[in-house]
Amino acid sequence: MGKIVAIHSFRGGTGKSNVTANLAAQVALAGKRVGLVDTDIQSPGIHVLFGLDETNMGNTLNDFLHGKCTIGEVAYPVGDNAGQLKELAGKYLWLFPSSIRGHEISQILRDGFDINLLNAGLQTLMSEFDLDCLFIDTHPGLNEETLLSIAISDLLIVILRPDNQDFQGTAVTVDIARSLDVPNLLLMVNKAVPGYDYDDLKGQIEGAYKAPLTGILPLNYELAGNASKDLFSLSNPLHPWSMELRKVTEAILAIP
Amino acid sequence: MEQDTIAQLKKINWFTELREDFFDALAQKVRKRILNRDEILFNKGDVGNSLFIINSGRVKIVTQDSQNNEVILNQVGAGEVIGEMALLDYEPRSAGVVALEETSVMELSREDFMEILSRQPELALSIIRSLIARLRHNTSYIENITEMSRRVARGDYSFISETPSVQTDEDKIGQLMAEFIAMVQGVREREEELKEQVQKLAPQIDEAKRKQVFEEIIGTDFYANLKQQAQKLRAQRMDNK
Repeated sequence: MGKIVAIHSFRGGTGKSNVTANLAAQVALAGKRVGLVDTDIQSPGIHVLFGLDETNMGNTLNDFLHGKCTIGEVAYPVGDNAGQLKELAGKYLWLFPSSIRGHEISQILRDGFDINLLNAGLQTLMSEFDLDCLFIDTHPGLNEETLLSIAISDLLIVILRPDNQDFQGTAVTVDIARSLDVPNLLLMVNKAVPGYDYDDLKGQIEGAYKAPLTGILPLNYELAGNASKDLFSLSNPLHPWSMELRKVTEAILAIP
Repeated sequence: MEQDTIAQLKKINWFTELREDFFDALAQKVRKRILNRDEILFNKGDVGNSLFIINSGRVKIVTQDSQNNEVILNQVGAGEVIGEMALLDYEPRSAGVVALEETSVMELSREDFMEILSRQPELALSIIRSLIARLRHNTSYIENITEMSRRVARGDYSFISETPSVQTDEDKIGQLMAEFIAMVQGVREREEELKEQVQKLAPQIDEAKRKQVFEEIIGTDFYANLKQQAQKLRAQRMDNK
């Protein structure tokens, strides 16, 4: 039985989708069977990093939640469609995208969906695809589907920027994770500006949340300039951002 | 009295190579004036037709800022010369001059100056040399400031302690240098202050707010149900492992 890894940040703009996609790719590179679900139904973004757009996107999570297809039919096999992401060719990585069609987004936001169905779908694809690792990219904040993702996760990774609003929000997420008995909690910092005493920051954060901090990813102008078009850790494996990210990958792989 | 005048004239850079007999002629031509305290010698923008040598007393060189407030650019005293450039370039006065106390000045008109120049062309060479010396002096400061700017861009402020202090009553380029060093010092201090703030950045968590938000979330039926389900699911998955 594989593990479910939920990736969360209390506020938007932490680079969560980018980090999640890169983590999933790195775990797949390590030979694991990996699923990646975009439950950020309100503002999906992860598909772009895998070369998906409106023209080539097939079934989506929305279709599954509306009973139009099975969860298995949502799977987009990245290993068979690697394209520019040539490192991922032949790897076991499936993407489960959310719809990017405006009316489908507004429909699901208006009508809601059965949270139990989402839960069932996630559990199904764990066994159907024999996944070692299922990454869930959540919507910022703590809405129902995000709470579900946290509740069913074996590992919750909270991404924060080094600023007070994120420090405050992360405290609540950490409390919720503990309340829901999430067995493993990992903090990571993204968009750290130069000039920090990184060791000091790590100690401060670990002390404040009583949880390990793995990976302090620097603010990456190249990544921003990359305009989210590919997976940075694949195209720039030796960049400090990628090297810090791989520390998190190793921490994920180390969890039984 | 005339000997005093000649002695003053000899202090002028431009006249250092002038033959002795010309100083007598020159001394005949200068016109003495006494300024009372706060009396204006000339205003900014006035037509400049003469130079002034200060015999005694003190004046301020002034201009106005955008709000028309007086800005003192410099103060000068006995032995110093004001307005010599205007004799050659015909530009209006670039700043005004006001006496700070009772001040005695000697005025030499452009007409008289030109007349002397025509009789002793070497004077022109002397003036050119003096201007070149000034140019070299300014250029060396410009080179210094260029190099310092490069170092500031790299975050290297070490030159502040290596640079001898510049007197603010030096010429304008000297003043620029002094202002530049003061600016770099200010930039460095602000930068260090900022670094200090960044390094001291530690999680500031409002515990009351944290508790309030947490309780709002866990207080719902949805959450109670979710927690129960999550426990069941975990138990199931543990069994499967």
